[in-house]
Amino acid sequence: MELFLQRLVDGLSEGSVYALIALGLVIIYRGTGHLNFSQGEMALFCAYAVYQFGEWGIPIGIAVILGMGVGFVLGATAEVVLVRPIAKKSPFAVFIVTIGLFQLLNWLDGSIWGGQQLPNTGVGSKQLQFPSLFPNKPEDFVTVFGADIKIQSLGVIVLELVISALLFLVFNHTRLGLAMRAVASNAESSKLVGIRTSTVLMASWGIAAAIGALGGVVFAGINTNVNLGLMFTVFIYASAAATLGGFDSPVGAVVGGLSIGVIQNMAAGYVEEWVGQEMKVGVALLVIVAVLLVKPSGLFGTAKVERV
Amino acid sequence: MSLLRVQGLTAGYGPVTVLHGIDLEVNEGEIVVMLGANGAGKTTTMRAISGTIARQGTIEFDGRNIQKVGPEVIVRGGMAQVPQGRGTFPELTVEDNLHAGAYVRRDGSGNVAADIQKWLGVFPRLAERRHQRAGSLSGGEQQMLAIARALMSRPKLLMCDEPSLGLAPLITQELFRILERLNQDDGLSVLLVEQNANLAMHIATRVYLLETGRIVATGTGAELSADDAIRKAYLGF
Repeated sequence: MELFLQRLVDGLSEGSVYALIALGLVIIYRGTGHLNFSQGEMALFCAYAVYQFGEWGIPIGIAVILGMGVGFVLGATAEVVLVRPIAKKSPFAVFIVTIGLFQLLNWLDGSIWGGQQLPNTGVGSKQLQFPSLFPNKPEDFVTVFGADIKIQSLGVIVLELVISALLFLVFNHTRLGLAMRAVASNAESSKLVGIRTSTVLMASWGIAAAIGALGGVVFAGINTNVNLGLMFTVFIYASAAATLGGFDSPVGAVVGGLSIGVIQNMAAGYVEEWVGQEMKVGVALLVIVAVLLVKPSGLFGTAKVERV
Repeated sequence: MSLLRVQGLTAGYGPVTVLHGIDLEVNEGEIVVMLGANGAGKTTTMRAISGTIARQGTIEFDGRNIQKVGPEVIVRGGMAQVPQGRGTFPELTVEDNLHAGAYVRRDGSGNVAADIQKWLGVFPRLAERRHQRAGSLSGGEQQMLAIARALMSRPKLLMCDEPSLGLAPLITQELFRILERLNQDDGLSVLLVEQNANLAMHIATRVYLLETGRIVATGTGAELSADDAIRKAYLGF
């Protein structure tokens, strides 16, 4: 029971990071139909930025908010400067551009902070001590039903839920949210009702990157370090989470992210001799394949309905 | 008096020019109908006026030149368009579609809510389905939703591109009755594109006849029906 609880909380807190990155993927996909391959690297860049703010003596709380600001500017700029001009010519090319952006950001991180080692793998890159957003000393835990639950893990989960709730409110109860949903549904009609679609898309990329930034910061905090390879596997899991939940569903991204975190940790823990730490990725992917066979649009994704 | 004045309008798609200098006018309180066969350029004219595609020529709306302005700005000046093929937001509920229609309004959520009630009263079928997603409505219901959504912006001029397309005759008649009533009661000006000439002629103050990107005849419905050549060629009776 204690082990189960610990694994559950560990899974949920890891899953929260996947969920934050997946939320960013979903917001961009809904707006423009693009998969932003650089979502994880944008988050990593912001995590490095937060590390830098910390070095300059800025308290972690403020540094994180500044980091999200960096994320917003980074995402919005990428949309205006790179994605928009290219999307007009070829939607498919946008995918390639985001891969390029992925490489560019990682290289940039490396040349500023990481010491130019193998990009994306983190091998040989400098491990920088990262400040944690939550108390993470060995004695910072609470005992629930005999299980020692880290306060940091609980903090990450709560943070993720708060962000999701805020997003839900923005989506469903604000003018910007209505505009974002309208643009996702029908871009041309959005213009006809007066929505400035270019502003909405810019804001979508900005918001996505800002939320991703938070994911990056939290994950660096859990690992207590930041290095060049930090976000690569997270991005893979987040893509898997978005696929599992349904690529057009924010709720799906959260549920998908949390599920993958939990499945991984349970599988690695309980079927250790079969799965173990190395193979836990495979288990998560198997579950996804099984779900998609039954429900191709993901758990919460909408199959397009259109009556003609 | 003249709400919309178009002069020498040319537009097209890429290298293909579809409109070769259109002149037309809609005065306040008029229902102006544009008739023409498939490919005459009716939809292109509508899209050129609303700013959805690039165009040359003079387009004056409510005293301002809007030739260089995009659709998201034009709608703020009081021109609403119902595009061909309805153009609703299929993933949004009926109510959210109407909210989106009021996007440009700044007169408070109370007034918007009151307008939603008003249009749900005019289109009772929509009221029954207010929480349903627009994509699940029937063709006629979607057309009504598209019109209601356009009206939510409180336009001076409503532009409708073939609202009768794919609708049963009874529903088309109902739709035209509603348009006529809005024109008479609220003073709404309407620019209507139609292939269904007989029905449209009945409610038209004036009619333009479009052929391969040019206006070939204009007059009141009665005048055009009286011209034998035009009647045979375009009206089919």
